[in-house]
Amino acid sequence: MEKYLYIALFAPLVSSMFSALFTNTPKKQFVGIIASLLIFSAFVSSSILLTHILDGGDIVHVEMMTWMATGNLYIPFGFVVDQISVTMMMVVTLVSTIVHIYSIGYMDHDKGFNRFFAWLSAFVFSMMILVMSDNFAGLFIGWEGVGLCSWGLIGFWFHKEVATWAANEAFIMNRIADLGMLIGIFLVYWNTGSLQYDIAFPAMAHLDSATLTWMGIFLFIGAMGKSAQFPLHTWLADAMEGPTPVSALIHAATMVTAGVYLVIRSNELYDLIPHVGLFIASLGAFVALFAASMALVNRDMKRIIAYSTLSQLGYMFAAAGLGAYWVALFHLMAHAFFKALLFLGAGNVMHAMHDELDPFKMGGLKKVMKGTWIMMTIASLALAGIFPFAGFFSKDTILEAAFAEHHMVIYGVLLFTAGLTAFYSFRLVALIFHGEERYKIFGIHPHEAYKFMLIAMSPLLFLAMIAGIFQTPFFEMVEEILGATEYHIHSHATLLIMLVGTQMFVGLAILYAYKKYASWSSVPDGSSVIENSFIYKLLYNQYYIPYGYEEYIVKPYNELSAALWEVDKKVVDASVDGIASIFYSAGENTRDMQSGNLSTMLKWMVVGTVVLLSLAVVFGLAARYSGEIMSILSGLGV
Amino acid sequence: MLDHILSILIFFPALAGVMGFMIDKGSIRAYGVAVAFVEFALSLWLWFAFDSNVSGMQFMENIALIPSFGINYILGVDGISLFIIILAAFFTMIGIASLTETKNEKNMIITLLFLEMTMIGVFSALDAIVFYVFWELSLVPMLYIIGAWGGPMRIYASVKFFLYTFAGSLVMLVGMLFMAYFFYQATGTWSFAILDWYRLILPESFQLWLFAAFFVGFAIKVPMFPFHTWLPYAHGQAPTIGSVILAAILLKMGTYAFIRFSLPLFPDASVFFMYPIAVIAIIMIIYTAMVAYAQKDVKQVVAYSSVSHMGVIILGTFALNVEGITGSVFLMIAHGVVSGALFLLVGVIYDRRHTKLMSEFGGLAHVMPRYATIFGIMLMASVGMPLTINFVGEFLSLLGFYEQSHILTLLAGIAIVVGAIYMLTAYKKMFFGEVTKDENRNLPDVNKRELIALIPLAIITIWLGVYPKPVLEPINNSVEAVVQLMHNKSTTEEAKSRIPNVSGVVISKTSTREAH
Repeated sequence: MEKYLYIALFAPLVSSMFSALFTNTPKKQFVGIIASLLIFSAFVSSSILLTHILDGGDIVHVEMMTWMATGNLYIPFGFVVDQISVTMMMVVTLVSTIVHIYSIGYMDHDKGFNRFFAWLSAFVFSMMILVMSDNFAGLFIGWEGVGLCSWGLIGFWFHKEVATWAANEAFIMNRIADLGMLIGIFLVYWNTGSLQYDIAFPAMAHLDSATLTWMGIFLFIGAMGKSAQFPLHTWLADAMEGPTPVSALIHAATMVTAGVYLVIRSNELYDLIPHVGLFIASLGAFVALFAASMALVNRDMKRIIAYSTLSQLGYMFAAAGLGAYWVALFHLMAHAFFKALLFLGAGNVMHAMHDELDPFKMGGLKKVMKGTWIMMTIASLALAGIFPFAGFFSKDTILEAAFAEHHMVIYGVLLFTAGLTAFYSFRLVALIFHGEERYKIFGIHPHEAYKFMLIAMSPLLFLAMIAGIFQTPFFEMVEEILGATEYHIHSHATLLIMLVGTQMFVGLAILYAYKKYASWSSVPDGSSVIENSFIYKLLYNQYYIPYGYEEYIVKPYNELSAALWEVDKKVVDASVDGIASIFYSAGENTRDMQSGNLSTMLKWMVVGTVVLLSLAVVFGLAARYSGEIMSILSGLGV
Repeated sequence: MLDHILSILIFFPALAGVMGFMIDKGSIRAYGVAVAFVEFALSLWLWFAFDSNVSGMQFMENIALIPSFGINYILGVDGISLFIIILAAFFTMIGIASLTETKNEKNMIITLLFLEMTMIGVFSALDAIVFYVFWELSLVPMLYIIGAWGGPMRIYASVKFFLYTFAGSLVMLVGMLFMAYFFYQATGTWSFAILDWYRLILPESFQLWLFAAFFVGFAIKVPMFPFHTWLPYAHGQAPTIGSVILAAILLKMGTYAFIRFSLPLFPDASVFFMYPIAVIAIIMIIYTAMVAYAQKDVKQVVAYSSVSHMGVIILGTFALNVEGITGSVFLMIAHGVVSGALFLLVGVIYDRRHTKLMSEFGGLAHVMPRYATIFGIMLMASVGMPLTINFVGEFLSLLGFYEQSHILTLLAGIAIVVGAIYMLTAYKKMFFGEVTKDENRNLPDVNKRELIALIPLAIITIWLGVYPKPVLEPINNSVEAVVQLMHNKSTTEEAKSRIPNVSGVVISKTSTREAH
């Protein structure tokens, strides 16, 4: 089994390095094909490992070599394939295989075709390290690695100012969170003596609650950055400047779920500190609602899906925070399928519309893009949680978990957000695919994507439809390691009412969205009443948070930096030069003494003699009257 | 030959430098490269012959110079100095090999060879006076390099560099004389041998004063805030090769001396001054990072970033435990490699455009993709990306200091944020966007001569990031000895508790290793 572990881990690295060889050469089709094949081989290996684990096989644990060893610290490159990591590996390799194949078509006309595959495969490698490592330091390697690849891919079109700006924003904001993560790692090391999961977690049971709380908080700060939780969320929407396959893979299916993975992986820690867990759940519920509200009014197709991702991440954290780790992991998996599908569909639309992102300028595209229309509709149904699609099984279980744990506020918020999710998803679908063909005003001639791109997407379509049937086998697989409880609401009637009620609520939201937007005919120009209402503006400007960051953090930082530079030149350095010039001017001013002029010399000789004589007199007198001087001084209290 | 390998390493380049005066101008570069290559090969041989399981000094040489005052020519290396010596030989080699067209090339190469002598001398001297001699001598070639080949303000910059560091060193010299005198009072014999001094336990009040005296010399050299202002001038005016050697090796003298002198000689004082120095280190990290962000000249960005990174090294040193000190020694190597490479990279673009202002560039990634790639790798190393060389050092330094203070480490950790800010911004300004200036449209990409220097550095950056063990292990063993010595020598209660007892720890380490 170790062989498969290594293939799964290193095939993406090989793919990345192979593609990197061609970065400076013009587009070569075979680079994309070979990269896709290598990623596919990683997928196959992961599948073999999955069947091995499903068959009740042993956890595969290898230690490749030492990375750092000093003092008491010992960090190997160790990898583990257990129930959690194999789930993540399946998600990562499956979605990335599809995205790789899809990209061959999507990046078809791009100058940086080969470079794109180098970065994309490097990302997959980092993500595999992240999920497969058996220690926190290895996790951190992957953690930073995906950040790096995200930087390279958001800023892939580096001639665009917005893209590179967004890339830097994402990197720096993640770095802030990484500091929290790093401190969390230090805490783990100094309190448990190891960074290995299998040593550190058992040792945590003996620590006092305050230390564990700090540990939990700092690790979660790291998770907040990667998973773009409030208040570190602004980078995710801006990250949509990257190519759409990147958004599908990194900013929907895999990297942003790394934070959730961290919390799930640290379940033994968070079980010990339920109050931190409750905070995580509350923040998750808040972000779910908060992000969904921004998606309601946005006019950028990709940003709407990004906010939806953010909102779904909130759901996952809500579940993980409440201790329903397996539910969170299951939703992570299901979400990866339908969200990647949604993004890839959006990529097709973007191509068709010549990179136009405003859904109000589209409309009626279902005639020309039937395949994409069906896929995006089903993905949206899955996202909305309609029976029998994937989201129904994963999202409803989160609601049930919140209900069963008697956190009614969280339950209420999540339920309400489910309605919003349905609304904004179908607002998007209705605006893009239904109604009048508004794109004609702009003289665009849309066309469906290449057939092989649609075929590449079809496994995701399939999974978005049927992933629900995996719920029971999945539960059985992870229950051993996640100590899972099945969230069954005791009364059968309550459960039924809840399910039907939720479905009806969500269904009504979808109908409302269709009714409102399916026959939309004009492109809003900012003059309507609703567009001028306070709420709309607030939501459209993302609660003015990016503006606030720009105004109250970025600008002051710029100004403070400039001011400090002035300080450096005019205070620190000037005082050094000042001291030097004291010596210099002392010499400069006294050099007249040495002019060689006899009368001047004699004058100074007299001055010197007088000074010396007076000193002699003063000391002589002082010595003579020392007793008196002492008594006077002591009388003065010296 | 191995018995005298250190002397050979020190004096071979100097002798070859003298011989260089007789070499024809046309062939001086080949001669310089050959000499530096032999020297580098010798330093690798030293590593090969070095027994990494021994924590103490190896290849010791001892020749009496002034026996009545206990001044002897004593040399030796341990894991702490070994890699800095190799790094010095390495950078001299690639520095000469990649030297761009300079006027008076012959003088430059001879100067570099002399500089190499002084650098290796500093890191292998085990007698305070010999150490001091090399320490001061190293100023002369650098003064000449900046003063003769520098920019428009070269005289000001070189004199400032010389006088500032020289003034600090004099205070250090006074400290050394006092130290020897105390040794004489305690034992009745004079000695300037550092290993002899290690055995002397001083009362805390003496330690505080001596620590302060040494501190002045070291802090200016490092340079620590607020003594750092000579550095931007020196880097700003120095030619590329000068900046590379200065950043890669000369700055390390200060941090190395802290570990060689301050910590083992004055353990109680080290504990006493730990917090103030940590605060200075944090100021260095954050303040200079912000100043770096405000720069318009890319070389100044790298120069200030050096100060910021040196702050992390100082912090790791004053963690006073094995993890932190090992990390800081490793970070010295790492910073040498990465900042040296960054200065070389800045030199590449300066040779083409004769400006270092970032506003003059923009969109260079279109024109010079290879250059952008190598710069990108070094950029990521500089911001401490895992699996690059810097991360290992930075991680261990911060991890080590975390044991001493949580909140200060949190503040120091801001390094990873502010470092990313100035580096990414600089990179964006230079490489991203459209090519706006016509002069930049047809710039040639990096040529072979430049790649000779850059490729090995890139390889080392990744190699030691992925597999730091060959370097980390010898460092670790020697650092354990230093920490143990400090623990044993410390007299105050606080110092005993702050400085871990390694020998007790070694047992548990083997047991953890067995557990895997």
